[in-house]
Amino acid sequence: MISTVLAATSGDVTKAGKAIGLALGVGLGALGAGVGIGNIFGSMIQSVARQPELRGELQGIQWLGFALTEAVVFYGLLGSILAYVLV
Amino acid sequence: MRRALLLLSTVALLAPANAFARGEFDPTTEFEQHEWIPIHLGPLNLSITKAVVYLMLGTVVTIAFGLFFMRSKAARMPGRRETVGELVYDVAQTQVAEQGLPHKAIARWFPYVASLMLFIFFINLLGFIPLPLTGETWHGIPTWGIYAATSSLSVTLALALLTFFFTHFEGIRWNGAVRYFKSWIPEAPPALLVLIVPLEILGQFMRLISLSVRLFANMLAGHILILTFIGLMFILETLVLAPLVIPVATIFYLFEVVIVVGIQAFIFAALSAIYIGSAIEPEH
Repeated sequence: MISTVLAATSGDVTKAGKAIGLALGVGLGALGAGVGIGNIFGSMIQSVARQPELRGELQGIQWLGFALTEAVVFYGLLGSILAYVLV
Repeated sequence: MRRALLLLSTVALLAPANAFARGEFDPTTEFEQHEWIPIHLGPLNLSITKAVVYLMLGTVVTIAFGLFFMRSKAARMPGRRETVGELVYDVAQTQVAEQGLPHKAIARWFPYVASLMLFIFFINLLGFIPLPLTGETWHGIPTWGIYAATSSLSVTLALALLTFFFTHFEGIRWNGAVRYFKSWIPEAPPALLVLIVPLEILGQFMRLISLSVRLFANMLAGHILILTFIGLMFILETLVLAPLVIPVATIFYLFEVVIVVGIQAFIFAALSAIYIGSAIEPEH
């Protein structure tokens, strides 16, 4: 099965593998961060709807959580780029 | 006025340094460091590079901001200038310092955390203002380009090392070395400790990595994104893409300037405050 696929590809297979690895790394990282950021802002909306007077206090925590979650994509991106360049 | 500024920045963004070399556009070359004024002290390389110039510029802007909005005579009178100064001070105090630092350490560490926030904010922001500092010329005229000092890992790692050093220095100073390092060992059955303690020590170094890589990767990815979208025209050598590519690049540019620049500066300062605070008062 695999040998047929490999035989079907005429180009450089290592290059293709690298590209797939890069895309998978960034894509899965973005997937996780997307879910996390959605969660954070969703909870923020709910909490502010329930207790609007806490908005100022919650905002600091919200942005902290946002940045911590968002950074996960960049770890994935950095790892993928390293793998792409070095391997 | 605002529209004119937007137009101007778009036009300036359209002229990244290498773009004039037809078909040879590579966004990653924007991040190379060339030694402009080489200074070598033995094994130390203290050369003035693009990042160093941007850092110097950032320092000057930060000091000027402080003098203009907080220290000058006009800034002490009630007015617009005073409002801006107090707004910044308020964010630094209530959102950054008081969130992380214990009460007894605020007077000592508030200046560090606040200046960290302002400094990172201004070097991030300078990275999105086109400046004639690309080090390249086009028919004798220096080309204008965007570059942030924080998109170099050395800069952010140096900033993170400062926080790392201060964290342990303060932990030892307030608690004594024995009590401080004992606070790293949580209460758990001894069999589990073999597993937990190395993780805990590793965690201290992971903080260093996460603190520096977060800022670095954010700024680098933002710049690469903008440059790549603009560069798409030059890579594919067609102007048909311009109506599609320029708005997208402008949107990313605005997103970076309005949200990312401020948030990253805030996060770096807030996490520094939290780390230093948790070393001064270990829970338990």
